[in-house]
Amino acid sequence: MPAVLGLIIGVVIGVFVKPDIPIQVQPYLPIMVVAALDALLGAARAYFERSFSDRVFIISFFANVVTATLLVFLGNQLGVGSQLQTAVIVVLGIRIFSNVSAIRRFIFRG
Amino acid sequence: MAGKERHEKAATRLRHQRATDRRNDGTETGSFPVVRRKATRGRPDLNRASTKARLGTSVLIVLLCAMLGFGYMTQVNNTTSTYETLSEDELVSLINRTSQQARQLEQRKNELTAQLDSLKSQADKKAEAERIAKQNEQTSGILSGRLPAQGQGIIVRISQGSKQDVDAATLFTLIEELRNAGAEVIELNDVRVVTSTYIGQRDDHLVCDGQPLDPPYVVRAIGDPSALQNAVDIAGGVGSRLKVMFGSRVTVTTSDEVIIDSVRATDSQRYAKPLQ
Repeated sequence: MPAVLGLIIGVVIGVFVKPDIPIQVQPYLPIMVVAALDALLGAARAYFERSFSDRVFIISFFANVVTATLLVFLGNQLGVGSQLQTAVIVVLGIRIFSNVSAIRRFIFRG
Repeated sequence: MAGKERHEKAATRLRHQRATDRRNDGTETGSFPVVRRKATRGRPDLNRASTKARLGTSVLIVLLCAMLGFGYMTQVNNTTSTYETLSEDELVSLINRTSQQARQLEQRKNELTAQLDSLKSQADKKAEAERIAKQNEQTSGILSGRLPAQGQGIIVRISQGSKQDVDAATLFTLIEELRNAGAEVIELNDVRVVTSTYIGQRDDHLVCDGQPLDPPYVVRAIGDPSALQNAVDIAGGVGSRLKVMFGSRVTVTTSDEVIIDSVRATDSQRYAKPLQ
């Protein structure tokens, strides 16, 4: 419930407040969003598996976001930013898919 | 006995069923190894915390999810302005379009600059024409006697002759001599001498342009003073003729400030028009 509530609050704030993103953060924001989404779906899966732990969720949320951002940052430093960005997005996408399929199996168990 | 056997059979089926269920409930996708939580046997449950801490983590989760939603919406609103996400082809076409636009704007700017220049030069020409027109107006006004004039020149005083009266032809010759000497403006008594000026004789006195002239005759002329003076005083010239033939006294005074303030209303030409 807190997660859904938080999502709704965030979206509403995002709709009404249109902030100027600092130019340095701009390339990392989509990656951060996708990483956070992956963390959220992992948490949902854990919730269905009855092994959800809020601390683990919080840690994984930050770990996901920071790792993805750092990876892209590293890629930008090395001149392979766009490729590494694609790689991160692909990996996160696969994770999201596998999480979603696990959740699906729990919901439509039979 | 039979009942017990049946019971055992049922128990075995249930066990099998449970094993199958557990297999079917497996969440491994094959893509990634699923890290299952270890059984909490012997370890404290991570979630077993005080209500206060639970509330705190809930708030943190709300905050994190709010951050996620906020970031998502921000990114959604912002995608149009980030070139980071565009592909190379899109960027190339964007650059092409932009440079084309810049070229067009440059062209337009050149056109407008040229227009501005031509307008400026036209304005300059107009101002020049105005200046010339004003100059012409002054010159022609002085020439035609429409404007009063002043400048260097001479004043000639001719008294009535002791031998005989000064005649019109001699006076006219004097004016012609002054003209030849470069007089720009001439005045005879109070009559401005223009191109159509005549001097005639009526009864006993002279008439200039319909106005009677009374001696002494005063001729003011603007021009080079020495040249004008020479024209009058030259040996055998009109000055000596006045002295010798008519016995009149002729005095020529040069002045730096001869003022001729008599004017002549000009008739506008009825027939003559400037040649285009």
